[in-house]
Amino acid sequence: MNDEKKINIVLAGQGNTGKSSVFNYLTGLHQHTGNWAGKTIEKLEGTLYYKNYTIDVLDLPGIYSLTTYSEEELISREYIIKQKPDVVINIIDSTNLERNLIFTLQLLELECPVILVLNMVDLAKKKGVTIDFLKLEKILKAPVIATVASRGYGLTDIIDKVIEIKEEGTRDYHIPEYGKEIENIINQLSVSLKETELPYPKRWVAIKLLEKDKETLKTIRQINPQIIDLADTLGKKLEDIHGHDPDVVIADERSHLASQITREIVKISPHRKMTLNERLDLITTHRFSGYLVMLLILGGMFLFVFSFGNWSSSRLDLVFHKWHDRWINSFGNAFIFSLVWAAIESVLALIQIALPYILPFYIILYILEDWGYISRISFLMDKLMHKMGIHGKGCISFIIGLGCNVPGCLSCRIMESRRERFITAVLVTLVPCSAVSVIVFGLVGKYVGMLWAFGLYIFAMIIIFAAGRLSSKFMVGEPVELIMHMPDYKTPHLKTIVSQTWDALKEFIYIAAPIVIISGVLIQAIYLAGWMPAISGFLSPVTEKWLGLPAITGILLIFGILRKELILVMLAAYLGTTEFATVLSPQQMITLAVVSMFYVPCVATISVLWKEYGWKKALAVCIAEILFAIVLAGIVMRILDFVF
Amino acid sequence: MTRTEESRRLIDLEDGQKAIIISITGGKMLIKRMADLGLTSGTEIKILRRALFSGPVQVEAVGSRLVLGWGLASKIIVKLHE
Repeated sequence: MNDEKKINIVLAGQGNTGKSSVFNYLTGLHQHTGNWAGKTIEKLEGTLYYKNYTIDVLDLPGIYSLTTYSEEELISREYIIKQKPDVVINIIDSTNLERNLIFTLQLLELECPVILVLNMVDLAKKKGVTIDFLKLEKILKAPVIATVASRGYGLTDIIDKVIEIKEEGTRDYHIPEYGKEIENIINQLSVSLKETELPYPKRWVAIKLLEKDKETLKTIRQINPQIIDLADTLGKKLEDIHGHDPDVVIADERSHLASQITREIVKISPHRKMTLNERLDLITTHRFSGYLVMLLILGGMFLFVFSFGNWSSSRLDLVFHKWHDRWINSFGNAFIFSLVWAAIESVLALIQIALPYILPFYIILYILEDWGYISRISFLMDKLMHKMGIHGKGCISFIIGLGCNVPGCLSCRIMESRRERFITAVLVTLVPCSAVSVIVFGLVGKYVGMLWAFGLYIFAMIIIFAAGRLSSKFMVGEPVELIMHMPDYKTPHLKTIVSQTWDALKEFIYIAAPIVIISGVLIQAIYLAGWMPAISGFLSPVTEKWLGLPAITGILLIFGILRKELILVMLAAYLGTTEFATVLSPQQMITLAVVSMFYVPCVATISVLWKEYGWKKALAVCIAEILFAIVLAGIVMRILDFVF
Repeated sequence: MTRTEESRRLIDLEDGQKAIIISITGGKMLIKRMADLGLTSGTEIKILRRALFSGPVQVEAVGSRLVLGWGLASKIIVKLHE
């Protein structure tokens, strides 16, 4: 049978609208991910088979507006204009209708057939919001479908509608109309574009020219610079009338239209009881109890992750040790087999971090995120973060960094400017990750005292804060202010959490695995070649003289670049015992822990810095942190002289 | 002019008070960013609560809840609206 018919649809919408729930529901297991050509942004595609149709679904990146200049936004609008999907599904958060409609208007400007999906209608109802769907349909002349994506309600209606549109065969679209003066000017400009051959709708180009959209200006300048002059003159005219830049005037116009539409279709019942969620919000963002709740939630999270992590990691350790013994029994200690084992061991090491620590950490993190709590942390921590030259959202990267610096650094993408992204990423590399905490608790906590271990954590926080203050002084550029949407609390949705956790875990493995394996083999080769004593001898002025540690630590610190807890593991292997107290004094243990905390990000983290910020910056960060850690630990050691 | 029509900074409002944005005294980028969110002169805005010290403020505007940094909120000039 070959009568299957193809339909292309895309999902578009702002963040937090439940777009990924819709995508997951529609495409289920038939998903494939890749990257947009030449970009680091993930491309999510899936296929759905329904009523003899093969429907390709593309999930466009979640965005706020189609005007501001960011890669995600550019990708989305280029795709919609050039690939001409059969239907654009605009997912809208019903509880934030007005704000979402601004985006919808921009979507309609692209002159594509749109289906409006009003998601989370159940939550809107709970908030006392009634929406007149028919009226909305009439005003925007686009089909409107009400859904509750987390429960699958209404989602097949979307596809039925898509098929209906496809079978009608016309690409129907409706353009929203703005105020007279603006329409007039847009008209004049689009008329002047009549002669030019463009893959874009003329009216849309006219609007973008008035908004001084960089990409559009570039394209048109090559074709006909005179049009740009005309756009400037007309833009001036608008500016004279309204007293703002044309781009602001147009944005104004959109939001006024959105609020006008909202007023016409939405009814809010005024006197209703405070919902449970609102009460919860009151407590969790309160100026005192908010911080208390935050400490409890985060403290509980770490307690759980680390106790689970330590337990399961030691289980895995036993298993992997048996494998190693078996490997030696079968292949012996020949050079080449040792190298192969080094590669295998690197993979096992990744598993040993990923499964016990990162996996549970991510699961809890995404539960908190989907519930809506993470935004509350940004709100509560904004002030403190500002002192470090970044804003509240940076706190999220720090929290993730406590689990593992790799996803911590990756998560800095949520920061708006390159400056903030970089500052946050560097600070995250100073956050003690789960591997570092293995050293802190396994060495200092166990043999010096738990108070000392916690003290080291507080010490790390002070260092990070100081580094943040310094970088905010020396990095040029204005700090960006926090502007964030505060989502309502909602019941976490299992499917979303699972898929987000899986994506994050996958990214961690993709980025970390190659470089961890390569450097694992390399260091093993150096070791087997017998160069290690020479290296530790070479480093001894630093390790022995300045830091007062045994010479062997030079080698340990090199292995530690692979993953930091190797410092402890190798130390035990070298000593043939885990009774570290017999060889190291408390002072030496604390010094070693301080060096391990700060001396360099592990290779996996370095590779993220490299990928995101270029090798020069990555190298600079490494060198700076090595020098800093050595100087710092030396000073700490001398201060400890007075204590012990 | 009655007292309620006096203009003041958004951060000078009490929690729970409603106001209308008169102007945003910031750079072009900021004004554009706010406009994209639907916050322009004439927009109704309600202050919900603020964080400790001079932390960010939570507001209700454009039918949704937003968090604005303190520095930003101090650049929004409003007049009271009952």
